[in-house]
Amino acid sequence: MSVFMDLNITAGTDKAKLQSTIETAAHLGYSTVAINYVVEGQKKKQLIPTPQPLAELFETFPTVQGKSRPIKVLNRLTVVATDASHFRPTNEYKNFDLLAVHPKTDKLFHAACMNYDVDIICISATEPQSFHFKRSPVNGAIERGVFFEISYSAGIRDPTMKKYTITNAVNLISVCKGKNVIVASGAEAPLNLRGPYDIANLGLIFGLSEGDSKAAVSTNCRSVVLHGETRGTALGIIHTMKRPQLPTEQPEEEIPAAKKAKTDDGSLIV
Amino acid sequence: MEKKPTPYERVVCKNTSLYHYMKINLVFDSRNKSLSAEQFKQLIITGLKDLYGEVGAAFPFDVLTFNQTELSAILRVYHSSLVKLWSAITLIGSYESVSCAFRVTQVSPFLLALSGNSREMEVF
Repeated sequence: MSVFMDLNITAGTDKAKLQSTIETAAHLGYSTVAINYVVEGQKKKQLIPTPQPLAELFETFPTVQGKSRPIKVLNRLTVVATDASHFRPTNEYKNFDLLAVHPKTDKLFHAACMNYDVDIICISATEPQSFHFKRSPVNGAIERGVFFEISYSAGIRDPTMKKYTITNAVNLISVCKGKNVIVASGAEAPLNLRGPYDIANLGLIFGLSEGDSKAAVSTNCRSVVLHGETRGTALGIIHTMKRPQLPTEQPEEEIPAAKKAKTDDGSLIV
Repeated sequence: MEKKPTPYERVVCKNTSLYHYMKINLVFDSRNKSLSAEQFKQLIITGLKDLYGEVGAAFPFDVLTFNQTELSAILRVYHSSLVKLWSAITLIGSYESVSCAFRVTQVSPFLLALSGNSREMEVF
């Protein structure tokens, strides 16, 4: 069985809130989360944010419920594009593990599906979609291994948004037939998050089948993360990385605790 | 040799069971929010009505137990309307304009299964 992931947790300015959101995600059973930084294209010369170093966020990452492993945190950038000039692949995009684009027009949606080097295409959850999903770009995206993302937390916050979220999700899923869909939270606060099984159930009302719906929070997300990793490589075949310096001194071998005998005065006999 | 009677009874359920049982927990931002059982059920019915309209609000479901201090409850619902009830609970986001969330701890066709949680079980 694959682990659960939530690939959209909004990075706010409030560090404590982000921390508690990630802690809640770990408690709910998500093994991997991605902190989402958004760039609005229409604002002129908006700088692409640099991701906050993860070591600053937590000293020890919270343990995932039922897994006894620490949660894995990724960085993700979402480019909101209303014009073709907004999406420019620059070096700054390479600081992020995942790259998403939120196309606002039909033309950009087509370009995002067919050409853009991204991992995720976001579907609007806060407004009615201004264009129809056409079969050819959607199929193109599926063939290239790009995934569509539905975020649900706007629907939890506001009843009107709930309607838009469901409408857009149903429209998308009827076109892509349940393939290449991920469902993520987009949460800003811990209470906007829901458990992975709740989301697998929520997928059913979007029109996904039971299997697709569970894949939308587990295996499909894994494909997105792997796609994100191969994006920085040459055709996914060659990957270069700096080798870490080998330590010159071998660290002393630790003796397992069971082999240490304890004497009465508390000193250890090895 | 005489066979001892087994201390347990084996029950095999071949068809899908009529009811499903859900163990849920309501969480608030601030701790000091208290609800009565009636308000709790009304909150869920409002959620059903928001998502599925009048027909949804008319689903039969029961609150079997309700713990007022922990705001946890066990619901019983017909198998056929489980998905609808669950999705309505998922999308409830506020109570009296205070943000809240339902955490579904367990869902099972057997009420007995809710007596323990294997994920939080401590083995001695």
